[in-house]
This record gives sequence, C-alpha cells and structure tokens, in this order.
Amino acid sequence: MAEQEVLLTVSPSPHLRSPENIPSAMRDVLIALLPVTLCSIYMYRWYAVFLIAVSMAAAALFELLFRKIMKKQATLHDCSALVTGLLLALCLRPGTPWWSVILGAFFAVGIAKELMGGLGWNRFNPALFGLVAVTLLAPLYVGTTATFAPLRQFFGPLDALTQATPLALIKQGLYEQISLSRLFLLSPGGALGETSALALFIGGAYLLYKKHIRWQTPVSIIGTVLILAIFWGNPLENIASGIPLYHIFAGGLLLGAFFMATDWVTSPITEKGELIFGIAIGILVMLFRKALGPTEGVAFSILIMNAFVPLIDRLTKRPKFGEVPAKKAAVAPAGTAVSKSN
Amino acid sequence: MSVRTFQRGAFLPHYKEFTESEPVSTLSLPPEVVIPLQQHIGAPSKALVAAGDKVKVGQKIGESSAFVSVPVHSSVNGTVIAVEPRPTFTGASVESVVIAVDPEQEEPQWPEQDHTALTKEEIKEAIKEAGIVGMGGAAFPTHVKLSPPKPIDTIVINACECEPFLTCDHRLMLERTFDLVEGATLIARVVGAENIVFGVEINKPDAIEALQKRIAGEKNISVVGLAVKYPQGSEKQLIKATLDREVPPGKLPLEVGVVVQNVATAVAVFEACRFKKPLIERVLTYSGDAAANPGNLKVRLGTPIKHVLKERGGIKGAPPPTDEDVPMPPHLVGKVIMGGPMTGWAQSHLDAPVVKGTSGILLFSPAMVVKTAHSDCVRCGKCVDHCPMFLYPNYIGLYAERGSYERAADWGALDCFECGICVYVCPANRPIVQFVRETKREIAAARAKAK
Repeated sequence: MAEQEVLLTVSPSPHLRSPENIPSAMRDVLIALLPVTLCSIYMYRWYAVFLIAVSMAAAALFELLFRKIMKKQATLHDCSALVTGLLLALCLRPGTPWWSVILGAFFAVGIAKELMGGLGWNRFNPALFGLVAVTLLAPLYVGTTATFAPLRQFFGPLDALTQATPLALIKQGLYEQISLSRLFLLSPGGALGETSALALFIGGAYLLYKKHIRWQTPVSIIGTVLILAIFWGNPLENIASGIPLYHIFAGGLLLGAFFMATDWVTSPITEKGELIFGIAIGILVMLFRKALGPTEGVAFSILIMNAFVPLIDRLTKRPKFGEVPAKKAAVAPAGTAVSKSN
Repeated sequence: MSVRTFQRGAFLPHYKEFTESEPVSTLSLPPEVVIPLQQHIGAPSKALVAAGDKVKVGQKIGESSAFVSVPVHSSVNGTVIAVEPRPTFTGASVESVVIAVDPEQEEPQWPEQDHTALTKEEIKEAIKEAGIVGMGGAAFPTHVKLSPPKPIDTIVINACECEPFLTCDHRLMLERTFDLVEGATLIARVVGAENIVFGVEINKPDAIEALQKRIAGEKNISVVGLAVKYPQGSEKQLIKATLDREVPPGKLPLEVGVVVQNVATAVAVFEACRFKKPLIERVLTYSGDAAANPGNLKVRLGTPIKHVLKERGGIKGAPPPTDEDVPMPPHLVGKVIMGGPMTGWAQSHLDAPVVKGTSGILLFSPAMVVKTAHSDCVRCGKCVDHCPMFLYPNYIGLYAERGSYERAADWGALDCFECGICVYVCPANRPIVQFVRETKREIAAARAKAK
C-alpha cells in the first residue's frame, strides 16, 4: 500500500486552473500581429521578411545566451522573446541594416529584459527600449548603412523605401498627398508596423476579445490623441481637414496603443491606473508630435510612462471589498468622487 | 427572476454533470470508523470514552467546556479500539476515537418531537448538543454563530454550492426541501431574524422551483437566483448579492445584521430539533473524472475515504477494489481531494476520515492534475480583475515570496479568504493562496511575539 501512496499528487488548493498560460497568451499576441505583419510583407517584400526573421532570431538567441550566462533555465517556450523580436521588427523601417536590428534585439531582450531579472521584472517595454537604443545610437553609424547595400541587389528595388513617412508629410502640411483611406487600409512609409491601421485594429480587437488586454489603455491613448488633435489649433479647421484621423492612423500610435502600452509587465495593474497611463501617453505623444522636434514620439511616450507605473499603481490603490463606508456612499450624491470600483 | 451577483469573481467550468441528477444514497457502514475529537474551529473536545468501551450510535464520545467548541458523537454501534492521534484530511494528526463497528446491533429510532414548540434557548441548546458546525467546509460551531452580539434581521441560507463538482446541497434542496425550510426557520427564531433569504445559483432551476413551491404564501421567506459565478458562496459575496449589504474588512456578517448558514447545516439543525439527532452523518459528493461510480452519498462521520472508494467501485478503468485494497493505478488517478476543487485538500493516502465539514471526495485523473511549475509574475492583472475582495494578489505574492510579509499585508493578504480564484486565472500559475497563508502565519507569529 505504501508504494501507491507516494503516487498521488499533493498540492495546495485550488486544484483547477484556467487553460490559459503565458505561452498561450504570447501565441495569441503573435496571432494578433499577423495581419499587420502580412501587410508589411506585402508592402516591403523581402525587406520585411528579412527584418522580421533577423529580429526574431536575434531576440531568441539573446534570450538563450543571457539566460545561459546567468545560469538560468531557458524560457524560449514562453514565446515572449519571439513577441519582442516581432514587435521590434515592426517598429523598424525597411532597409534598416541587419546589425542595427541585432543591436536592437540585444538591447531589447538582453538589457531591458534579461538583465532586469527576466520576464516580469523588466520595467520598460523591451521592444521599445531596443528601438530607442538604436535610434539614439544612430548618429554613431551614419554612413555605415552601406553595409546593407550589397544585399539590396538580391531584394530588388522598392519605391516604398524612399518615401517620406505620412507623419512627416503631416508635419510639412503635405498630408493631402496621401489619402485617409489609403492610410487606413494599406500604405507605405514609416516602419513595418505602420503599413495598415486596419490590420492593427483587427489585431487589437482580437486581443480584446481574448481578454489579454483591457479596453482602458488603447481607448484612453487613442481618445486623448483624437481630442488633442481636434482642439490643438482651430477645431473646425482641424475637423474639416481630417488631421485628427491622420494622427491616429499614421505613425506608430496604433501599434503602440494596442501592442506596446498594453504590455502586461510594463503597464498599470488596475483599470483606473491604465486610464491614467493611457491619457498621459496620449498627451506626451501629441507634445512630441506638435511641440517637439522629432516627428514621432510614441516610443518615448510609452517608455516615459513605463517608469511611472509603480507610482500609478500605488496612487490608484482601490479600496477593499466593504472598505468604502456605507454611510459615506449613502450621503454622497450620485456621480461624486466616491469611487465605485467595478 | 432577476439574477443577482457580486462584483468580479470568475466563471468556472461546473463539472456538476457527474452527480447532479444522482439521488442521495446511503453508504454502507465501514468495519472501522475514526472520529477526530476536533472536527471544528475552536477548542478540541476531550474524549469521554476509552479503549474497550462499548458505544452506541449518537452517544457523546467527546466534549469540551469551552464555549467555542462542540461535542463529538459516535456515528456507529461498536467497541472503542483506541483513542489516539490519527491523520485527518489536512495531513495533521488529531486525537481521534477509533471504533470497531458492530453491524449486528440495531440502529436507534429517533423519537419525534414538535420542533415548533421549542424556545429560542432550547433550539440553541439542541444545536450545541447535536455538535452542529458549518457544513459548507469552514466547520465553525453553529451555536456560536447563532449567539451574535448584535441584532440580526436576516438569515441568508447559502444554497449557492459554487464549487465545481459538488452537488450534495443541490440534492438536499430537492430531496429535503421541507426539512431545509424548517431548519432555516428554526435558525431565524434563535437569532430573532424576521427574514430568510435563500441564495441559489441559477444552474439549479429545479432546486429554485422546489423551494419556491415550498415557501409559497410565506411573506418573510424568499428565494434569490444568483449568477453561476465563483465564489458566489462566500459569505460576504453572498450577502452583497442577495441583500446588497457590504461587510467591512475584518468584520463578520453580523455587523450588517446577517447570519449565513449553509443548506446542510440547516437540515442538520432541523434533525437536531425534531429528532434530537446528533450530527453523525452527512451527505457528500463523491465525484471526479477518475471515479468509477460518482454519486451523492450519505456517509457516517469517521468513515475512512478508502471505504467510500471501495464501496463505489474505486477508480474508473482500474481493477475493482478488493476487501484488502483499492487499486490506484497512477496512470488513472493523480489526485484525491477532500472538499471542493477550489478550496479542498489533496490527500497523500486514503486513511483520512469523513468529518463534519467534508463536502466532497474528488478523484482526479492525471490529466486534471496541474503539474506546471510557477514562473515570475508578469503583471497581467488577471488576479486583480477577478479578486472578489478587491485585493492585489499579485503584490501579495511578490512580497510574500521575498519575505516582506508586512508589505504583503499592506496589499490585503489578511483580508483574503483563500477562494483560489487568483491562482485559477494566473497564467504564470503562481501559488498565491499559499503565499497568503504564509503571510497570515508569519504576521500572526510576529504580532504574538510583539505582545
């Protein structure tokens, strides 16, 4: 009898688990990114395939390497490195030199994630950290893009590569060169992940449907940008020109709102926190676009707000069940500051 | 009927189909019963018998003079073999009375009396003498719960049975509807409550119908249909759903004028008052995907779970049990749980006896057993979304993991009632309930030390 006793599993309650785990959630993110990935490949052909392949492979290898050096168990099966690799590639413009991609993956997975303690301990979104690192290091290798040149003859010529980004056009007041509907459906210019707003909406909707992300973050970011874009300047003129929609469909806003700012690890833990987080990102994005130098500031905006997440969590700490005194709730008229946590 | 519920929580698979239409059947007597002297929260009882004594069904064999305690009765006729520590369902050994059953001896007839004529004090005394505790699992002495220091206006009968698999309360509601309502009425009389509310999850429409039929014309008794959401049967969530009252953190339901009692407890109260019958048996759900013959069983307290398995054909697909042993092939059965799947206890052997708080015995196939290791928190916020107490299970886990128990308490560890929903939804499979228990233990130790 003794020999059968040891074969029963003894573990603390609960004894049931939802079928969802980190690998399945990460796979869902990859699925959600599929439409925009396909759009970018349609648009940029081998340039996109090459970038995505290099980025994902480098991200996976750096994860393996760093965990090996730090004598930790390999975690490739959780697919988070692949997600980071794909997101990084989608943030880059076609024609980005291969070693720049690898450097980005090194910063993203190696520095921002693994050196911070691995998945869950990173304070900054790895893909954006990698992107910003290579962006800031760009001056160091101006002129060395020639390294990429020999490959071009294999990939063939592509007009899209040299096109101005839609955001740059808006900034120059030349937005009429590109129609809103093209921008929404499929258009070149900018990074791989900026080729189709529709594809990003589909991916975002899938993540919402699968309940991997809450509506609060994307809605508050997009809503804030929309409102600011309308009221920055003459509202009537803005609406007539359609500029607010350009601000949403162009650049990295949708990619950031649906896939970057919603990153589990680097976003606030409650709905209320996510609203604050999203509104702040929206304001920063518009500041970058309208008032500051660079044409695009989504990556910087999200990274800046990543740093505020612990503070937001503490400031938005919700009352426990039954903690809001019934008396106070009864006296206060409806619609006042008494928080009604849902 | 409008369906009410509480905020947050989660929808779990029910797994009730195994047993929900199985009428309660009585399990045979085992050759030997093991009756722990402490099956309740509070002071342990002291044995009133010694090895060699003959005992009868319903005879008091353990008692304590403490208020927060209940007596223990023999569930069988037989001879005391030993009074010694025996392992219980938690794994801890508890002083127990071991009785060899004499199946030849006649079972007693319980004399009927008019329970409606009893006074408040008589009812409470009968409840205490019968050794009744909360039979939903907590096993808190019922007579103590019915001695509230504040006025009570409503009794809520917890008929949710929100744990997956369990159907014993469902069957009681169908088969003992009259007794259940009488028991609830007795409970309401003890505390002077005017109203009785039955909170039933709507996946038991037949039970709701039976109750409504029974209480037709009664002004102060109502049935409330509740969403099938876990943990609907937790006291605070149940009170919120049925009465829209919120029990403050760290307080008991009596704070808002409510006492909650479980279905099985109410039936036991009826039996104690009507027949002077002590708590010697209970209905439990024997289920799980590895059980050959699941069912709702009326089992004598002290029956070792091995006897239950033996009588019900053991493991599905395995050789049938013999008198000697129950074959437990590891490829067919991976886990044995006493209680529900969300809050129950995994067993390392089949010797633990059925006690007053045992609502179920579940056999899981290896496929149902969670084997993945946990990883670091990825801050997905699912635990925060689902926590019915609006706590921060993620932070509790993170801080407890590195020994910062005070900070774990800051994020609500002490208000957690360990429903397990955070662990259920956690994609990183983090053992948050375990972290909570650790925090409670460490904080209690630290506070005791400070005194």
